[in-house]
Amino acid sequence: MSIEIRNVHFSYGRIKALDGVNLTLNGGAAGLLGPNGAGKSTLLRILLGFLKPERGAGKVLGYDILKDQDSIRRAIGYMPEDDCFVAGLDAVSFTAYFGELSGMPRAEAMKRAHEVLFYVGLGESRYRLLDTYSAGMKQRLKLAQALVHDPKLLFLDEPTANLDPHGRRDILELIRDVASSKDIQVLVSSHILSDIETVCSSVVILNRGVVAAQGRMEDLKAVRYSLFEIRIKGDRSAFAAALEPTGCRIEETPDGLMRLYMPPERDANDVFRAAVEAQVQIRHFIKSRTSLEDLFAGVVGVD
Amino acid sequence: MATVRDKGYHHWDGRLEELRFPWWPVTRNGIRLSFQRKYFKFLVAFSYLPAFFFLAGIYISERLEDFRFMVRGSETFLAIDPKYFNTYFTADFVLFMLIMILVFAGAGLIADDMKHNALQLYFSRPLRKRDYLFGKAAVVFFFVLALTFVPGMILLFMKLVFSGSFALLVQYPWLPLSIVACSVLYAVVFASYTLLLSALSRNRRYVTILIFAVYLFSDILFGIFYGTFRNPHFGLLSLKANLQQAGAAIFGQSTPFAFPWLLSLLVLAGLCIVAVAVLSRRVREVEIVR
Repeated sequence: MSIEIRNVHFSYGRIKALDGVNLTLNGGAAGLLGPNGAGKSTLLRILLGFLKPERGAGKVLGYDILKDQDSIRRAIGYMPEDDCFVAGLDAVSFTAYFGELSGMPRAEAMKRAHEVLFYVGLGESRYRLLDTYSAGMKQRLKLAQALVHDPKLLFLDEPTANLDPHGRRDILELIRDVASSKDIQVLVSSHILSDIETVCSSVVILNRGVVAAQGRMEDLKAVRYSLFEIRIKGDRSAFAAALEPTGCRIEETPDGLMRLYMPPERDANDVFRAAVEAQVQIRHFIKSRTSLEDLFAGVVGVD
Repeated sequence: MATVRDKGYHHWDGRLEELRFPWWPVTRNGIRLSFQRKYFKFLVAFSYLPAFFFLAGIYISERLEDFRFMVRGSETFLAIDPKYFNTYFTADFVLFMLIMILVFAGAGLIADDMKHNALQLYFSRPLRKRDYLFGKAAVVFFFVLALTFVPGMILLFMKLVFSGSFALLVQYPWLPLSIVACSVLYAVVFASYTLLLSALSRNRRYVTILIFAVYLFSDILFGIFYGTFRNPHFGLLSLKANLQQAGAAIFGQSTPFAFPWLLSLLVLAGLCIVAVAVLSRRVREVEIVR
């Protein structure tokens, strides 16, 4: 079990940031999802030992978050949300420096810094001063310093913040590669749903300091409802009325597409029965994949 | 035959060790970055000018007969005793050059890390706050000791070499200890002073101005109050006066100002305590706005 925390509470003054969070994460890539202020960064900082929880306990890679902070920090890699660098250094010195601080021998850290900089795509600019790096390069650099000591677990806090679409795609590609083929567990904190959906196999949704949903991505998306996309010819309000007893929720898009959220105990036949009852023709019928966005909207309570 | 490896990600075969001196990489990096600054090497070299003059003085003092034409009336100055060393340690120029070096090497020590959010990177490593702060303080120690302890010991050694006897050490056996004590006092006080000011702002330029301004204006303030009230106790306001007072006491010399040197030591100790308090508040893993 890579991360396990029980009943963790934390407040900033009178503002409760985490309110009894329970969490269990295993291997692979996990997403920590939630709106701004949900407590994602606070949770990461508690896992890193930056903040001490007021109540509760937990373990990261088997190390106690209250007692074994040094061991945790040695075993994990952390990519913070903000732009972080040491002024006056080039990328190789910077990456090697943090490798050395993690406990690598100096020569090994330098050798490894070259390797990871090539891996994240900064090989050609590794001797440039960091002050001259673009936002995308700084993001890659943060990933390089997090990877330099070959951690078992990576904490990535908003890894695609401030990136253009191209840079975002590249960083997500790297994260996916690290998580899937390099045997490194990854915990990605983000409020961008598509990032989490692209990279992660499991997700934890935080809202106002509590865990609103948690589990494997497929399971979470599947259990809530079935989603159908339908186009009809006929009286739309009669069709909606006929569907009402089934407990379906209907959304209409401006181009006339009906999105039908159906409870798990119902099936597609109920739609056709309702169509017969309302005397409408179904011209288009697709069972759609429920997106993380739908799940997120459901548990967080936003449109 | 060596394995051909692509430029992808490979696991590292080694084992992460617990660093014996986790602060050392921080110190080494700080010293290296200082020497990368423009003109810094020239500044350091120029700071050794007084040491060369004092070394020449020691040489001349052993060959007074040969240099009589040069030193007419200055024989007293060329008496090599603790006062000679005290003069070097408390010289205005030496103290000013130390401040100049701190401006280049010390202003950005914490301010730059705060400006570029590097603290969270440091503390996401197995590095404690005390290791980080000691690593930064050790950068100041390095430069202060390089300009106090190193020349002090070389001057003492050269005196023994030029005189060909241990008479100086026999007469003043505590002199090496005085050199060490004064150097350590300077190192601790200047490290506290520099880190305190460096932690007060995220802007290196402001810190540079502060390092200069506090040193100079505290001395100017002393001058103004002393001129007005004729009370030497206003010397306690001046960093320079306090260092000179404590330095003279360490070398067993009469103090330059008419107030107890213990008060100066207390003021300097107070500065260090304030520095520790401010640093423990300002240097933290995450910015928390409560």
